[in-house]
Amino acid sequence: MYRLLFRTVYTARNSSVSVYESCVLPAKCNKATAPVSRVANGGGIKALSTSSVRFCEKKNDDTPSNQDQKTNADKEADPTETPTLVTQKAEDASNVINMVEQREEEPVLLKTDDGSTTQQQVDVKIEQVVATPQQGKTDAAKSGKESLLDLLGAMKVEVTNKRKLKNLKVKPSYESTPKSKPAAMESTISMFQKATVEASSQSETLDPELVAAASAAASTLPDRSQAESELLRQLRQHEGVTEAQKKGDMNNLGVIIADMKVGKNPNRQNARPANQIRFDEDGRGYTHDRGITAELDSVRRRKNLFSGKRLNVFSPTTDEDGVESAVARPTLWDMDYANQLSLSTNQTPRNGLEEMIQWTKEGKMWQYPINNEAGLEEETSVPFHEHILLGKHLEEGFPRQGPVRHFMELVVAGMSRNPYLTVQQKQDHISWFRDYFHQKEEVLKEADVYLN
Amino acid sequence: MVSPSQKPPVCNNMAAPGRHVGHYIQRNSRFLIHNFEQLWGHRSFGWTPALRQQVAEANEESTGTIVIPRKKTWSKEAVLEALASTVSRDPTAYSYQFQDDPYLSPRTSSEFKLYSLSQESGRSAAKFFVNSNSKFFTKDFAEPHIPCLMPETVSLLLEEQSEEALKERINLRKVTAAVDMYDQLLQAGTAVSMETTHELLDLICLYCDRDPVQEGEPQPEDMEESGEEVKKRKGRFRRASDFLRFTWRENNNAERIFNLLPERDTRCYSALIRGMVKHGAYAKAFSMYTDMLNNRMTADVHIFNALMSAAPDVRDKYNERWDLIAELLNQMSQQKVQPNLLTFNSVLKALRRCGSLAKTQALHTLNEMKAVGIAPSLASFDHILAVFSKAGGFVSSPASSGQGNTDILQEVMSELAGTSFTCQDPNDVLFFSSAMRICLDNKDLELGYKVHSLVEQGENWRLLGDPYQQSIYYGRFFNLLCMMEHIDVVLKWYRRLIPSLYYPNPQGLRDLLQALDTDSRLDLLPTIWKDIRTLGHDNKSDLVEELLTLMARDRHGPEVQEAFAVCALDVKSVFDGDRGRHSLEWSTSALSHITSLLLRANKSQQAWEMLQLFKTKNRVPEEGLLEDFLSMYHSAGSSQRAVELVQLSASFCLSATPRLAKRTLAEFNLTEEQRAVLSELESTEEPSD
Repeated sequence: MYRLLFRTVYTARNSSVSVYESCVLPAKCNKATAPVSRVANGGGIKALSTSSVRFCEKKNDDTPSNQDQKTNADKEADPTETPTLVTQKAEDASNVINMVEQREEEPVLLKTDDGSTTQQQVDVKIEQVVATPQQGKTDAAKSGKESLLDLLGAMKVEVTNKRKLKNLKVKPSYESTPKSKPAAMESTISMFQKATVEASSQSETLDPELVAAASAAASTLPDRSQAESELLRQLRQHEGVTEAQKKGDMNNLGVIIADMKVGKNPNRQNARPANQIRFDEDGRGYTHDRGITAELDSVRRRKNLFSGKRLNVFSPTTDEDGVESAVARPTLWDMDYANQLSLSTNQTPRNGLEEMIQWTKEGKMWQYPINNEAGLEEETSVPFHEHILLGKHLEEGFPRQGPVRHFMELVVAGMSRNPYLTVQQKQDHISWFRDYFHQKEEVLKEADVYLN
Repeated sequence: MVSPSQKPPVCNNMAAPGRHVGHYIQRNSRFLIHNFEQLWGHRSFGWTPALRQQVAEANEESTGTIVIPRKKTWSKEAVLEALASTVSRDPTAYSYQFQDDPYLSPRTSSEFKLYSLSQESGRSAAKFFVNSNSKFFTKDFAEPHIPCLMPETVSLLLEEQSEEALKERINLRKVTAAVDMYDQLLQAGTAVSMETTHELLDLICLYCDRDPVQEGEPQPEDMEESGEEVKKRKGRFRRASDFLRFTWRENNNAERIFNLLPERDTRCYSALIRGMVKHGAYAKAFSMYTDMLNNRMTADVHIFNALMSAAPDVRDKYNERWDLIAELLNQMSQQKVQPNLLTFNSVLKALRRCGSLAKTQALHTLNEMKAVGIAPSLASFDHILAVFSKAGGFVSSPASSGQGNTDILQEVMSELAGTSFTCQDPNDVLFFSSAMRICLDNKDLELGYKVHSLVEQGENWRLLGDPYQQSIYYGRFFNLLCMMEHIDVVLKWYRRLIPSLYYPNPQGLRDLLQALDTDSRLDLLPTIWKDIRTLGHDNKSDLVEELLTLMARDRHGPEVQEAFAVCALDVKSVFDGDRGRHSLEWSTSALSHITSLLLRANKSQQAWEMLQLFKTKNRVPEEGLLEDFLSMYHSAGSSQRAVELVQLSASFCLSATPRLAKRTLAEFNLTEEQRAVLSELESTEEPSD
């Protein structure tokens, strides 16, 4: 029972499709279970899934159901990917429809003998959908019958895609339980597979959306696989025609004409007669090749300016020579050339700002600051510590301690915070004090404040 | 992603009805969707930051050390350039240089030329005054010092014989004074250094042993000064002819000094050869080159460039010319001289005069440029376009050559698209107008748009050249638009280009009129007429005639006719007004067009006055016009006027007078007196016929 519980947990985590997949399987495994499952269908999904799993548990040994669940797990990706593309409401509906779809699938598989028509299925579907609200599926009811009908077509695209996968993947599990599979059903499955394989091979050149739409449309017809393949073939033909018409220019015509020539004269198809009408690649018309123009033609026809031969005179060298010549002082000729260049171009300013640029270049205008060191031209070479660390200038000429020293330290501290003086001015300031205190040394000594 | 914690309780509860499961699944799926949406959102929005983070992490891991980015140095114009890039052109405004005086807003191309030139000449006059009277301008107001605002020294300060004095003369470009000083130094036995000799030779060769024409205002040309610039631009064509007039004379000072030199190096030869080529002594330049080779010296790139451009002038046959160029190129590589852009541009320029050979060789040259690693400038492409448009004409029919022409332009444009250029060759400025000419010749509108978008790229508009070149370019572009484009688009361009960039000539306006006619938007004619008046083309008689013909040709709705009549009166005032310049002469067609336009707008009084004008101007109205008059008077019921009309017709001695009289007699209610007059006219005129 634990196992059963675990399994149900597992199935419930999958989407309804996979839930139902487990439901279908028992139906296939044992025909006798079909009525039961159908009843279960009527009853509700929950009951159905439990019953199905139970059936699996009962009728088969562990392996098929395990495999089955593995496939379910594989397909978990499917429902999780697709919802992102669908709106929330459509998602609501899709759940319902997926369920419906499973139900619809059941009759197909069960009634393989009488080859039930899809029309009937649709009827069944609608009946079932109508039935579901009555059975208490209130959340499904908010999408009405009409919208459901509309959505059915769209959803089926998804389902058919899925089914393709499903068929491919589920098959091994079927084969592992051959005894429980009726022959008729096998044929149906193989037919399905064939159809999908065929469709996939055909759909190589077609848009996947188109293929999906085609298969959706085909599923509404009696013989769906054949219809699908026919539809796809038609589509491909159309695509071929449009492709041909898209390219339908002179070039194409040229090919046709060339073909005709081949038919006439098959042994000379490679050698082009010199006087043959040739069509321009760009379809502008045809040109007669004449002997003398042939060479020029080839020049004209050159796709890229730089793809031809070169003179082969110079070899690309390193830049050493160029650098050397650039270093030399500009001669009068260079000045004259530069002047010519500036005369030939239009140098008039277009707006006030450009005029200001011109003035800046001529040196008439103060430059706009480009960093916070604008106007500090003469101080640019001086490192900042020359400004800040002025203590070294007190090393000589001043007493080591005492009031004078104290005073000078204050002076230096103040100056180190002054951004408006240059270093030279600061040094001058200090040396002025040095001189001053030297001059007053006597006085200071008398007052006993000059300590050295 | 799906929270598993939610599920187990639900599913464990086996008793829960199936619909609950469905419900939960549904809810879960909704939850899923939300999750996914969030995830997707994160994906799309968070992509780049995530990427960057990744990269940053990778960097940190790989290097492990902190890399201090290099200090970005900004030019001093950086702020202004950034600001200027935010200002775009205002197509409704006049050019910036005229904005400080609205009175001087130029409305015609001649006014534009006059105002811009007078502005510049005013500046250079002031400069000249300051320079020549520098003793009055000694006060330096500017702090810090602004050198370009101070007077320059233009007169010679050093009088003694010395090399310094010679250098000063060279710097001031006093050619004759420098030569004199050099001779004096030689006679005094002072040795002149090689460097000064080089400069002296350069000076003499550049100006062809003449003092440069500077109107008493010599100044070093490297000091770029806008006033000087435009004044020179004005005289550019004249100046070119000046240079041609200064042909290289046999044994001029340059040659004399050169021959006196004890030793000559490449630089001396270079100056001589360049001067000879510049001033038309091509054969002499080549003999000088041979002389140099005989002296076992190698040439420099300038010598080769000069010789290359002179090559077509010393050989007559196309293949000989090319052989000479190829030989020069080979000698270049033998002498290990690296070519530059000008080398190839002069090769390509020479190829323009090499006929049918040029096509292949031009492409080979272009590929050589690529191989050597020299980016072609606009001038290179201009030469190639010229080569292909010319050479095609000889070989095959014009149509196919035009084809090849656009093909090559097509390729050039795809090569150039989106690049912005600086001027590297004086011929660069010719590219755009010649490219547009090819577009116009082949009526290739798409290509024209491509060319124009290249012009609008970055600073490329500066390479349109001087105002004359620019007007040629825009004239061609506008002509192409008028020919090929729908009228709405044409008018859009019209408003964008005119008059802020381009003053159209009468031909351009006629193209516009034709474009209006083609797309039957003749109702716009009055506005175009206003522009014609503003542009000063209202005195071009054929343009005015064309406008009047177009207006008078068809009948339009009443409003349009009213506007046309107002316009016609305006045209009339132009004819009448004498504004001190060549005024228009009334022609019969102009008179009758205006009259019929007025008639159609029921301006009978003005129309009648027009009819009087016929008489004063000695013109004869057409019969149809008089018939129109008569019908109008008939509908207005003014019989008196009708009689006067017939009398007028009689005074013109028109053959139609009896017919008019008959019609008047039949259709109008006339008094006896009028009847008598008319019947007399009817009868008297008939025999005279």
